[in-house]
Amino acid sequence: MSKVTKGWDDEEVLAALQQALRAQRAVPPEFIEAGKNAFAWHNIDAELAQLTYDSTLDSGLELSLRAEAASIRALTFTSRHLTIELEVAQDSLLGQIIPAQPATIKIQPREDAETSLATDEIGCFSIQPIPAGQFRIHCHTAAGVDALTGWIAL
Amino acid sequence: MRDDPSVIALVARVVDGDQEAWNELVERYAPLVWSICVRYQLSRQDTDDVGQSVWLLLIEQIGKLREPAALPGWLATTTRRECLRILRAGRRYDHEGLPPDDQLPPDPLAPMIEQEIIVAERNAALRAAFAELPQPCRELLSMLMSDPSPGYAEISARLGMAVGSIGPTRARCLERLRRSPHLVAVLGDQTGDDIEVKEPRGEQGD
Repeated sequence: MSKVTKGWDDEEVLAALQQALRAQRAVPPEFIEAGKNAFAWHNIDAELAQLTYDSTLDSGLELSLRAEAASIRALTFTSRHLTIELEVAQDSLLGQIIPAQPATIKIQPREDAETSLATDEIGCFSIQPIPAGQFRIHCHTAAGVDALTGWIAL
Repeated sequence: MRDDPSVIALVARVVDGDQEAWNELVERYAPLVWSICVRYQLSRQDTDDVGQSVWLLLIEQIGKLREPAALPGWLATTTRRECLRILRAGRRYDHEGLPPDDQLPPDPLAPMIEQEIIVAERNAALRAAFAELPQPCRELLSMLMSDPSPGYAEISARLGMAVGSIGPTRARCLERLRRSPHLVAVLGDQTGDDIEVKEPRGEQGD
């Protein structure tokens, strides 16, 4: 059978319903919960800061670069009003907000409590130690602009 | 395929800031996002990342969707792009960095997207229709669908229903399900929109 119409017989409709309910049960509740939580970003001023540059994706050498911890990793996230530049230093993650301005930086690890720090007058900050797992950066400037990066793993 | 008007209404409510509508939308389409990740054989962690990106992008862009009825297609395409990003980069980053769809190298799984959308819409309509059935119908059908299925004698005992009336009740409940506006919207009316549901392409049954 490759076609169904409204004229399903009872067995077909029951089998289809069974499949539909099974497809729903296959999805872990946490996956759905995380989706619901995304609503928190509705209509608030936070802008999604999109990854616009990643040094490891900049050349065909990404595999070898990733293997060499010594390589400097640089990432740039851009939202409508802000650019967040990150650079992985030896034991810290250095960042700057552009245009230069003071801001509060929140580091939101996927599996840990968030921490926050203040940038200096020109928007520079340093995160120490480098987050081990995945995290996002939420930036709130003194002027009231909010930006949130996607998940980052270094 | 018809557009389900309930989806258009949900989108409008989300745009107005209705968290309940958003929850419904996520519940309705999480299986679609999930099943596409399964097709791409993503790890659980990568699947979570794809989900996260997809929902964040949706909540950000839902007010700009030109055609709310096209939401399933938007979700499927976005999910696929996120899956590809993760597979290419070995890890996921953000939703930038991939060329437009038409510049992507051929993806052997691309044709399954349409299929997944159709199946997801049909499944969502079936679940919505089922949820609106009267409680006794839902109980009976649930028991009939459970695996292993209890015999009529056990169903009769558990639901306090005469064995002889199980068959006719089942038929009435299924008829009611079939006539649900949700199913009519997705499956088409009697004028005969046919929808392919089974997997193998190039194989025409009936």
